[in-house]
Amino acid sequence: MSISFILLGLILLLGFFVLIFLIGGYNALVTLRNRYKNAFSQIDVQLKRRYDLIPNLVETAKGYLQHERGTLEAVVAARNSAVTANTRAAQNPGDPSAMKDLSSAEGALGGVLNRLFALAESYPDLKANTTMMTLMEELSSTENKVSFARQAYNDSVMAYNTKREVFPTVLIANIFNFGPAELFVIDKPEEKAAPKVSF
Amino acid sequence: MDFFERQDKARRNTKLLVFYFVLAVIFLILAVYGAVALIFTGAELKDDASQVALFSWTAIGTMGVILIGSVSRTLALARGGGAVAELLEGRLVNSNTIDLNERKLLNVVEEMAIASGVPVPQVYVMDGEAGINAFAAGHTTGDAAISVTRGCITILSRDELQGVIAHEFSHILNGDMRLNLRLIGLIFGILCLTIIGRILIRTRGKKNPLPLLGLALIIIGWIGVLFGRLIQAAVSRQREVLADASAVQFTRNPAGLANALKKIGGLGEGSHLHAVHAEEASHLFFADGLGKKFLSFATHPPLNERILALDPSFDGKFPTVVTPDSPPPIPSAEETAQPPPMPTSVPPPLPVVPLLEAEMARIAPHVVTPKRIVSDIGRPKTEHLRYAIDLQEAIPPSLQADTRDPLAASAMVCAFLFNHDQTARQNQLDELAGVTSEAMRQEAIRLWPAIQGIPPQARIPLIDLSLPALRRLSPEQFSQFRAAVNLLVASDNKTDLFEFMLQKIVMRHLETHFVPARKQVTQFYDLRPLTPECGVLLSATAYAGHENATAAHAAFEQGAALLQRIARSDIPWLPPGHCDLPQVEAALDRLSQAVPQIKKNVLNACAETVAADGVIQEREAELLRAVADSLDCPIPPFVQPPRTHTEI
Repeated sequence: MSISFILLGLILLLGFFVLIFLIGGYNALVTLRNRYKNAFSQIDVQLKRRYDLIPNLVETAKGYLQHERGTLEAVVAARNSAVTANTRAAQNPGDPSAMKDLSSAEGALGGVLNRLFALAESYPDLKANTTMMTLMEELSSTENKVSFARQAYNDSVMAYNTKREVFPTVLIANIFNFGPAELFVIDKPEEKAAPKVSF
Repeated sequence: MDFFERQDKARRNTKLLVFYFVLAVIFLILAVYGAVALIFTGAELKDDASQVALFSWTAIGTMGVILIGSVSRTLALARGGGAVAELLEGRLVNSNTIDLNERKLLNVVEEMAIASGVPVPQVYVMDGEAGINAFAAGHTTGDAAISVTRGCITILSRDELQGVIAHEFSHILNGDMRLNLRLIGLIFGILCLTIIGRILIRTRGKKNPLPLLGLALIIIGWIGVLFGRLIQAAVSRQREVLADASAVQFTRNPAGLANALKKIGGLGEGSHLHAVHAEEASHLFFADGLGKKFLSFATHPPLNERILALDPSFDGKFPTVVTPDSPPPIPSAEETAQPPPMPTSVPPPLPVVPLLEAEMARIAPHVVTPKRIVSDIGRPKTEHLRYAIDLQEAIPPSLQADTRDPLAASAMVCAFLFNHDQTARQNQLDELAGVTSEAMRQEAIRLWPAIQGIPPQARIPLIDLSLPALRRLSPEQFSQFRAAVNLLVASDNKTDLFEFMLQKIVMRHLETHFVPARKQVTQFYDLRPLTPECGVLLSATAYAGHENATAAHAAFEQGAALLQRIARSDIPWLPPGHCDLPQVEAALDRLSQAVPQIKKNVLNACAETVAADGVIQEREAELLRAVADSLDCPIPPFVQPPRTHTEI
């Protein structure tokens, strides 16, 4: 009688420990997943700011760049597709296909904006326009904030993916279907040269 | 009862709590033993040996379950207030948010934080709760989190929201939070019995006694939960009354809080909570979240009583509350196929506007008496709140926006540490290039003109406001940021007072978020072993306000006299070389391990030293602030006290 009782006690205890381990691992995965989703919302805010600034930019430039309609229209189109990609990604941050679409849309938008700025170089009137200057300043600042937020997001995605792949949490991840999260990488074909800064 | 006495009381209450808990565990063990004996061996009494074996096994098993449950829950909550908020299904509000309701909530919290001298806590929203409820949780003021329901931000007006948040801030300032967290852990342990019972009920097998045991465990567990509710109720009921009173003292607006309570009465949902874990945390909440229970198990005084205490003219009739329309649903996939139209009117970019001198004249420091400094700790008044609101209005919107973005906030802190001399600054910038990203450097340069013009009184509040954004850095970004701050501080080879204060405040409050905190164990119950540290601190404080050594000594004597009486030994007066900032830092580390009453005396002495010449200079204010912060005592900003004869 007593032996089966001891056995029962031990099994219960073992079961409880396994439970604690399962709960701990599950909670860790959920916490890390929430963290990277949260980190994405930080990028989202800055991207939306950028998308809101671009129409202003196009309006200001339109008067000066009457013969460059193609570029301006390309900017508008790239901005719109980036907005749709962003909305999709915001609903499901970290989802591989959504993030890849957002990456490529953002890369395309960046490229087309650079073309616009390069074009603006040859129109000194446009460059001297104060609204244009503030807009470009604001855009560059938002650009910095986006890349900073992206870095934070990628850090959290790395942490989550690592936890997901490491033993023993990998077992829990497979049981509860924790999928991998995708990094947010933007290909920058031209590296901007570090400007000489001085006060 | 001042802040320090309340802290002491909270620590004593913890002991009472543990006593009740032990009683509960004993009762539960006996009950489980009874159930097991009945189920497995029938009502026959066997020989003593197997009875003892049975008893010891059930005792060990039950205690094991409860202890493991408690410990695992306590460890999970050790991460700070944010862990509790996430447990109760809260979502962290983005400091950059554009949602108007969330913005309103963040502004109210920011005002209160500046007014109380507490770093801005993390703010969460419980999206799934339509009722009106809120709570504050955390171990220290540094890792505090406030969470409110969706109903709070959509249904309550700004005044009412302010009342609720003020109530929560009083919990933070009263030192209730740590006690509450311990309670959650203990109650969860008791709840574990019911959980196991539920699992056992599902087991299969012929002649299987386990489901019966499971049922017994569930019943016993429920009785345990009642015990837990008793404990929660005993601890929380009178504190709720205190918190209501403190909130009114703070906002000087009883109508706000009263109306919020009335709206709870009038709303169908009331303050009811749906979250799975609401039960364990019911003592944390602003209003009763679980529904009417017998009075002795209620964690809050009845709603009518609370309203009457605030508004004696209340007639018992609750207003009908109409919930505003639910927010527009997120567009589905098909709708997003078409590109959205270009917005016609876009908000223009915010111009960089420097803080106006005239505006800041409203918030210049004034003469304060030492008694007021210490009595104000942990008990902010209305004039502090007014000051905070004025300050928020004086800060230009672009700078406010910068405090809310992680990159801009880190760049702002770096810019605060820039040298005023141009060549030195250029050096600092070049050194920074090796440690941080290009984006950070550019932001710091962009912010420098605005930061340069910031009057000294606004620096501390701006730092407090930046803390939520800084908490959103990733761990790697945080170590880069810390390296950058240390580099900038060390670059001019001498650390001045402001840099020291900045470093301490920022790193202390951020480190609790990024690095698992060591438990702060109280080591010093008597002042005498700490006399050298007091000497260092008081000497440094004296030198901060006086160029002249004799004047400094006189100021020192004023403060030291206070401590000498208590410690019954001399406090050493030190020359400048022996009370530099590294020594001050070491002294503060040791002093922070003392009991609250000692901290009060030390702060009193510092205040006496500072007030010896009748004026609080900026340097002195900064040092006092750093000292109070290191000792975990929230000190409100220094403001002109209201003239009593014109008080409304």
